[in-house]
Amino acid sequence: MTNAVDVAALQDGLLRAGYVADRGLATALACAVTLERAVLLEGDAGVGKTDAARALATVFGAELLRLQCYEGLDLAAAAYDWNYGKQLLAIRAAEATHERPPDLYSDEFLIRRPLLAALGATRPRGIVLLIDEIDRADDEFEAFLLEFLADYAISIPERGTVAAAHPPIVVLSSNRTRDLHDALKRRCFYHWIGHPSVERETEIVRLHLPDVRPALAADVARAAAALRERGLRKAPGIAESLDWAQTLQMLGAERLALDVFEPSLGSVLKYPEDLETARAAAAAIVAAGRGEPGA
Amino acid sequence: MSDALGGAALDEASLAAGFDRALRAHGVAAGTRRAATFAQTLRALPPETTRDLYWRARVAMLPSIDDVDAFHAAFVEFFGSLGEADALHRLARGVEAPPRREGGDVPKRESVPPSPSERAAGEPEARRAPTQLLLASVEERLAERAFEDVSDEERAAMLRLIARVRVAAERRASRRRRSAARGDRFDFRGTLRGAARTAGELVRRRATRRRTRVRPLVFLLDVSGSMAPFARALLQYARVTAKARPNVRAFAFATALTDLTPLLRSAADEQLMAALGTAVRDWGGGTRIGASLRTFNDRYAQRGAARGGTVVVLSDGWERDDPGLVAAEMRRLRLLARRIVWVNPHRRHPAYEPLVRGMAAALPYLDAFLSGHSLRTLEAVADAIEGREA
Repeated sequence: MTNAVDVAALQDGLLRAGYVADRGLATALACAVTLERAVLLEGDAGVGKTDAARALATVFGAELLRLQCYEGLDLAAAAYDWNYGKQLLAIRAAEATHERPPDLYSDEFLIRRPLLAALGATRPRGIVLLIDEIDRADDEFEAFLLEFLADYAISIPERGTVAAAHPPIVVLSSNRTRDLHDALKRRCFYHWIGHPSVERETEIVRLHLPDVRPALAADVARAAAALRERGLRKAPGIAESLDWAQTLQMLGAERLALDVFEPSLGSVLKYPEDLETARAAAAAIVAAGRGEPGA
Repeated sequence: MSDALGGAALDEASLAAGFDRALRAHGVAAGTRRAATFAQTLRALPPETTRDLYWRARVAMLPSIDDVDAFHAAFVEFFGSLGEADALHRLARGVEAPPRREGGDVPKRESVPPSPSERAAGEPEARRAPTQLLLASVEERLAERAFEDVSDEERAAMLRLIARVRVAAERRASRRRRSAARGDRFDFRGTLRGAARTAGELVRRRATRRRTRVRPLVFLLDVSGSMAPFARALLQYARVTAKARPNVRAFAFATALTDLTPLLRSAADEQLMAALGTAVRDWGGGTRIGASLRTFNDRYAQRGAARGGTVVVLSDGWERDDPGLVAAEMRRLRLLARRIVWVNPHRRHPAYEPLVRGMAAALPYLDAFLSGHSLRTLEAVADAIEGREA
């Protein structure tokens, strides 16, 4: 095992990489990297699960490989495939020239998909493998992943087992559209990314959108928090807050106010029912956003 | 760690194992594998403050955010004995609140394994005894009876007989493919692999074909008042179904929604009845159908629990609150589920008309409206789940 990753140092590193992580998330990532174990990040859509992996890669100067999961994701798309067309051509060419056919299972004909590519790190912590939205994949893929995470190796029947010289840093993300098998979860460090506190969200908005006025960033963070308390169908995530701040900036707003609230709402809320709820409570939400008591 | 924990030099492994036991006492099944991870974590990254210890423990030992309250309790109890109980309490309160899921007090799956006798009640009778003929006549007699106006013995027999009702399992094409001699897409890999056997000559063409997958099936059971015996019967059907096919979920509702899914596959009758009892307890003078549907839509359906599947709702439609909410939530459910089957036992009476406002509000969104009050009519429910005409 290589040296341990200090939690506070990682938190700072993530911040420099443009990602505001709280202590829990930094701990989960530090533990995962130190013990060479995968980490499972769960949370609602838009709370920054994917960005956490991206920032982690930046911190370690690692290459980020992303595998987007979907139902029916199979080995050919996730791990490796053979370039059949090329193999066929090689056979025909060898026949035509009466040469010995080349080794059809050499690197030349191997197509490396993210999982296999993730085993190719040339230095420790050289690759971050993001397995995104694992809840969208099916049981069969989860079972395969179990094996992969246990040994960081993939066996290719034609070639034998390919093992990683340096295991990748593996980040799994899930929106919790379904429960994952406990067998998989047991093998991972686990962290639930909740909606951020107002302070953290303000920090995130300012970090991502340096042009937005500090007062406006704070207004957006407070208003987003107020919206999340309204029991909406889809509460705004950080991604929506960022869109909102940017929209308000474009509208020339210096603070959140009623005249810009309505026209900018479409960047935060995506369901007609939610828009209706927010419009009905516009005054209260704007007041909450401006940090004014009552409304 | 020694500073924060009063200078106690503790062996990481026994500490982790002890905490695992404390978690189990609070109903959190972390398991030895996680405990081992926790021990390794403590060794590799020794925490310096209580906060650090808390997060080390949590990322290694917490199985799911649903367990976070019990985790706090176990943490405070276990590590609190090492001093700094106040700080630990503050810490536990300071972290973000988990998303509330109703029915959190449903007993955990692992708690009590059913004894063989208990198990027998829910399972299909694999071998038919020589008394089959005798039973057949009993079956005949019970098939038409409503679940409510029967003796306790008869009801028990009826619940057993539910195991004979056809298991509804509608399938759909999956995105996953398998190799086949005939299919709708050329299989490059399989064909080439086959060609190896014929000296590289492409003799046999292989194809791929879509696999199929079982569509989700969700039961939403109104357990208030007069619906209780019918809810019990449909729940029994849900259990039988859940044992025979994947992707079955069940919820009870009266004024709030309780997830019974974890209990479907393994729970003994008593446990299930206890969970139902908890769900019913808050019932008083009316059901909140709209609010329960809303919870279901928000927490489960929208996240994919009902997508492309059938939702079976059992209720008489008595809504305590605004029937407008029932209509609004049914409209949402309509967009998420493939099919909605409503079971209302009152429908068996020839003069029944859906005049109750909640029922009238739901009616436009239904694919089938059935009585499901007896063994015979449950067969019709099974048909409706698969979209067949009864």
